Amino acid sequence: METVTYTQVETFVNNLPEVTAAGVWIKAIIILAIISAVAGFGTYLERKVLAFMQRRLGPMHVGPYGLLQIIADGIKLFTKEDIVPQNANRLIFMLAPVITAATAFIALAAVPVFPDFTVPEWIPVLGGTFVPSIAADLNIGILFVLGTMAAGLYGPLLAGMAQANKWGIIGAARTAIQFLSYEVVTGLSILAPIMLVGSLSFVDFNNAQAGGIENWIVWKQPVAFILFLIAGFAETNRTPFDLLEHEAEVVSGYATEYSGMRWGMFFIGEYANMITISIIAAIVFLGGYSEEGIGWLTIILKVGFFFFLMLWVRASWPHVRPDQLMWLCWKVLMPIAVINVVITGIVMMV
Amino acid sequence: MSEVKQAENMVTITIDGKPYQAKEGEYILNAARANGVFIPAICYLTRCSPTLACRLCLVEADGKQVYACNAKVKEGMEITVDTPNILTERRAIMEVYDVNHPLQCGVCDKSGECELQNYTLELAVDEQHYSIADTKREVKNWSSVLHYDAALCIVCERCTTVCKDMIGDAAITTVKRGGPALDKAYKTSMPKDAYAMWNKLQKSIIAPSNGTDQTNCSDCGECIAVCPVGALSSRDFVYTSNAWELKRIPAVAPHGSDGFQIYYEVKPTSISDRTEKIYRVTNEWNYVSLDGSARFAYDFQNTTAQKDETAFAKAFEAFKKAKTVRFNALISNEEALMLQTLKERLGLKLYNPEVRPFQKFLGYYQEASGNRFWNSDPDTVMKTADFVVSVGVALRHDSPSSKYAFNNVQKMNKGAGLYFHPVGDTLIPKFGKNVECVVHKPGTEEAVMYAILDLFADKEKLPEEVRKYIEGFKRTEKRTVTEKVTKAVKEQVKDEETGEMKEVTKNVVETVEKEVEVEINGLLETLGVDADAFMASFEKMMKKKESFALFVGEDFYGHPRAENLAKLVALVEKCCDMQTVIIPPKSNALGVALICDLDDEVEGYTIGYNENGDFKLSALGDGDLDMPAMNQQEGTLCNIGKRVLPTNAAVEYNGYELNDLMKALTGAPNLTIDWTEKLPIEKGFKSVRFDDLPNRFENDGTDNRGYKLENPSEEKPLPSVEPFDEAAVLEGESIVYRCNPARQFNDFTDKAHEIFEAFGLYASPEKAETLGEKVVVEFANGSIELDVIADEKMTGDIMKISDFKAAKGVYDLFGAYRYQTATVRKV
Amino acid sequence: MGLEQFKNRNVGRQDYVMLDLGHTPETGMGKFKQVVRRTVKPELFVGLWVTFREMINALFRGKMHTVKYPLEKLPISPRYRAIHEMLRLLESGHYRCIGCGLCEKICISNCIAMETRYDENQRKEVTEYTINFGRCIFCGYCAEVCPELAIVHGPRYETASEQRASFSLFEDMLTPKDKLDMQKEFEGFGAVSPNADENIKKTPLAY
Repeated sequence: METVTYTQVETFVNNLPEVTAAGVWIKAIIILAIISAVAGFGTYLERKVLAFMQRRLGPMHVGPYGLLQIIADGIKLFTKEDIVPQNANRLIFMLAPVITAATAFIALAAVPVFPDFTVPEWIPVLGGTFVPSIAADLNIGILFVLGTMAAGLYGPLLAGMAQANKWGIIGAARTAIQFLSYEVVTGLSILAPIMLVGSLSFVDFNNAQAGGIENWIVWKQPVAFILFLIAGFAETNRTPFDLLEHEAEVVSGYATEYSGMRWGMFFIGEYANMITISIIAAIVFLGGYSEEGIGWLTIILKVGFFFFLMLWVRASWPHVRPDQLMWLCWKVLMPIAVINVVITGIVMMV
Repeated sequence: MSEVKQAENMVTITIDGKPYQAKEGEYILNAARANGVFIPAICYLTRCSPTLACRLCLVEADGKQVYACNAKVKEGMEITVDTPNILTERRAIMEVYDVNHPLQCGVCDKSGECELQNYTLELAVDEQHYSIADTKREVKNWSSVLHYDAALCIVCERCTTVCKDMIGDAAITTVKRGGPALDKAYKTSMPKDAYAMWNKLQKSIIAPSNGTDQTNCSDCGECIAVCPVGALSSRDFVYTSNAWELKRIPAVAPHGSDGFQIYYEVKPTSISDRTEKIYRVTNEWNYVSLDGSARFAYDFQNTTAQKDETAFAKAFEAFKKAKTVRFNALISNEEALMLQTLKERLGLKLYNPEVRPFQKFLGYYQEASGNRFWNSDPDTVMKTADFVVSVGVALRHDSPSSKYAFNNVQKMNKGAGLYFHPVGDTLIPKFGKNVECVVHKPGTEEAVMYAILDLFADKEKLPEEVRKYIEGFKRTEKRTVTEKVTKAVKEQVKDEETGEMKEVTKNVVETVEKEVEVEINGLLETLGVDADAFMASFEKMMKKKESFALFVGEDFYGHPRAENLAKLVALVEKCCDMQTVIIPPKSNALGVALICDLDDEVEGYTIGYNENGDFKLSALGDGDLDMPAMNQQEGTLCNIGKRVLPTNAAVEYNGYELNDLMKALTGAPNLTIDWTEKLPIEKGFKSVRFDDLPNRFENDGTDNRGYKLENPSEEKPLPSVEPFDEAAVLEGESIVYRCNPARQFNDFTDKAHEIFEAFGLYASPEKAETLGEKVVVEFANGSIELDVIADEKMTGDIMKISDFKAAKGVYDLFGAYRYQTATVRKV
Repeated sequence: MGLEQFKNRNVGRQDYVMLDLGHTPETGMGKFKQVVRRTVKPELFVGLWVTFREMINALFRGKMHTVKYPLEKLPISPRYRAIHEMLRLLESGHYRCIGCGLCEKICISNCIAMETRYDENQRKEVTEYTINFGRCIFCGYCAEVCPELAIVHGPRYETASEQRASFSLFEDMLTPKDKLDMQKEFEGFGAVSPNADENIKKTPLAY
């Protein structure tokens, strides 16, 4: 997406070849392609894992072990009729899913997704181009990611308000309160590690934890880790906080009137966010890709663990009521986060 | 004489403690049935003689065990249906019936209507104590319609009884089965009656009585109807349907004038064709016995009919220009009334050669007697008469119910019968030992009537000139008669032991010649009868006879001397204390005769209704406009019993009806049956709606179908009759007689697939031999080529020519009179 | 009847077992304590463990529940009433149906029709037999009433087809001749009970 193009900020990368515009482009395309695919694959995984945990088989018919189910679903979503409700605000209705998907992918611009590599020389035109691990290695990466994800709130909010449907409105309202509230917890919980590392760059976080498991921030900031994890679940609208589109109460919430690929974009955005949150958690608390030589593998495993955790939790736990959600946020998590920051500060000063 | 008196002495009997009224001399079983009391019985048939085969009807009457079917009620009789001993007997009897009876109830055609099954359940047979090795019994086809599964037969003999006592053919009988004998031990261990019944059952089976594999009978199928198990069925029906699938449509047999009660039994033709088809015809066999046409000629419906508007428009035009409607006796009263309405409104002539002579005859009769109708019917004759006389009827062919009555009187009422007919018959003499057949010349019917007057009339009542006329035929002759006289002779005999002489009286028969004066009846001689022999047997026949009946048939109606014959019939009725039945020729001849003013001539453009014509309305499917056949329409028919009987539609009909034409021509009510209440009241009909007509028999056999035509009578002086006109007598060897084979009445019976009797010239075997295979019969006004068919039951030279095919125009060749002299040439 | 009685009318014996659900905390502190208690107690992890255990069971211990339906089918009770089958005699291969028409008679939705005739062997031959499956309610009366166990309810419960007529003719329902050895004896409605012999009185035989 074009948003990537103006991330032309000069970034300092130690011992690495110069990052060219072509490299960033390639990276952007890779992120879009792979993450979209992984988001799709995520739906497959989710269905499979949920099925296994209920001792079912899950999708089995399309392709071997149902692997081609994602493609079948994609074809279905692409070919479905594009319906816009009569009294909806057409423009906003059509724009809202784009916002969700776009913000999710923009956030990924500042996140190290795969290790860097150089395009082999024998490939024409692009041969020899260096592709960085982060499309835009900002020194305020964390802030950027949290900011864009927060901006993602507009997607569901506008969708819910534009569709002229009461369930949509309720869904939108729930989105607003849930996302805004837990934004606070996310920020506060991650503040303590930032204080420890003294940087907002993911690369710095990664480097700070290099040298073994014992250097992982999670050992120093377990409370922050748990708070971040809980807030992350809420931010990504996962069980037990999946109140935005909780079928039993508000039909499909903000997505009630959506179908086809528009609904699909919400879906992709949600899964992209899940991956983003998993990556942040892996880099900030679990040492990122700092392991010598196998960093790319460990981060995939760590992200995979968090992704699996989300599914696992969904299979195991019931969800909370909206009032409990708010109660938890403002009366429990936020005070703990603040206390955690204060204690961290005191410990650092002493 | 008015209606036959029904007065019977009623007695009071007690059955199981309850008092009931019963007719004196009635069998206990019948009395019980009439009063709605159930006594089990398998072998007994209401109107036939008791068989005593099943022994189930065992009851205790005044302390003694009797068979209810065979014991007559007495005043004050006390009857117990069930005693412990009787119950043991009955139970044992039912067990015996179940020995070796095949357990194929699943496929049996009786399918739940089985009396064996019913009584087995009724008597709670749940265990079997008896056994004997089975005998192989073959399935046989007795005729073109009869199918006999001997393995299922329980030898109740109902079939043989009905065939002998009712139908008169006696075509089947019990023969030896060839099974093993019963174990002697059973004789002591079993109840007595059960053993006796089993002993008989084990020995016998049913077979054609002529010793061959084929019955020589009229194929009426009454044996099928009375069979309590699935042993007898129609060949066509075997294994085609279960009884419970069939829907019963109450109707009237349309072909003969008997108006037999029947049920058309219908169900869908097949899985792919759901239109309903008639599978068989059944009847209330306790109260009515069918002939073959009623039972087997049922599938004559018009299936091709559609509402063809062009044909309808053409028919409308045809009626506009028509001068005559030609039709026959097979028409309902309603349609006859429509035609009469057409005559009145459009001035059409109505031409009906089948009915016109009858109508005229009926008119003469009414004129002479003052009665609208004859005073009896075959049913009453069957119940009350003990001496039946039949004149001018080919009894086996024209009127089955009259034949059954004639026969039944011989069997059940110890009766006698006189059958006057020019065509000799071998079957009728076998009805009983007191039956005399007089074969007279065609045309001498007047002489027959005078002879009847002479034989039966109360001479006091006869008009003087008639009495004198009859006396004029008589003369006295002197004859030498040899007589046997017994004399007592005394003799001296020597006793061999003692040597003494004794006087012994002995009876010795001597033959003595005597001269006697004998009265010779010239009338009888005119008829070609040996007067002496006839009078001798007549005297024997007259012994103990109280109730007399006379059947008069179609031969009279077209007779050149019909008017005089009608007067003679009226005179016989008035002077002889005789029930009279004037048999209407075919179908609804009576209804047509009453409703329509028929004309003698065809004139101009003719519309034929099931007949030849310039424009043809036909229910046979071959006409210019289709009409419904009798099994496709509702309506009423008049029968020989002077009843107006409702009949119903059994099969779907899709075309136009006569009433639709009437709507277009003169205006008409909505439905054909709306005409029913408009039938002419002055002719004896009643203003009753079709749907209100009852259609059933009561428990005691009372016919409660439709209503009886009003039969008022006015006092009239005795008719003055003319003497016998010898000019009408036909002589010669080639006399032909218009007469259908039994079971054939019209084109519709011919269309039915279970009627096989062919169209042709029927002759006695000897005559047929001289004729060869095919002949041309030349009449004054045309000729016809016919196959020669030998009829074993005919004797004499007169040949019968069928008339059931309207297209052959036999009526036109013959004219009104049934006898004609014609040239018969071999081809 | 007093109000209390009225309220308690028709409510059984009222021997309910009350569960100890504890008390809902009312003060802020109480609620906080509840949260801490619930957080510290490993209830949530028990939940996680249960689902994880089931996944292990399913994947590695062969305890997967799913039946891959069109490919696999669960065994069905002999008393199940699915599409009818017409059985054959094992010895001769002739169809068992004798054409008695009892099924036709007893059918309460009136969907059975048959055609029979008298055949050359003097037997009742069933020339056509059909069940209108658009109308059949699978009540099982036909199988129950059949004296020959000729019509039975088979296990074929997939009744969707392009044409209703697809199953409904005699040939469709009859065991194919080449699969006669696979024909199973029917144990469902109307089959002879295992102790049938005890209930029957023997008929004496003379031979």
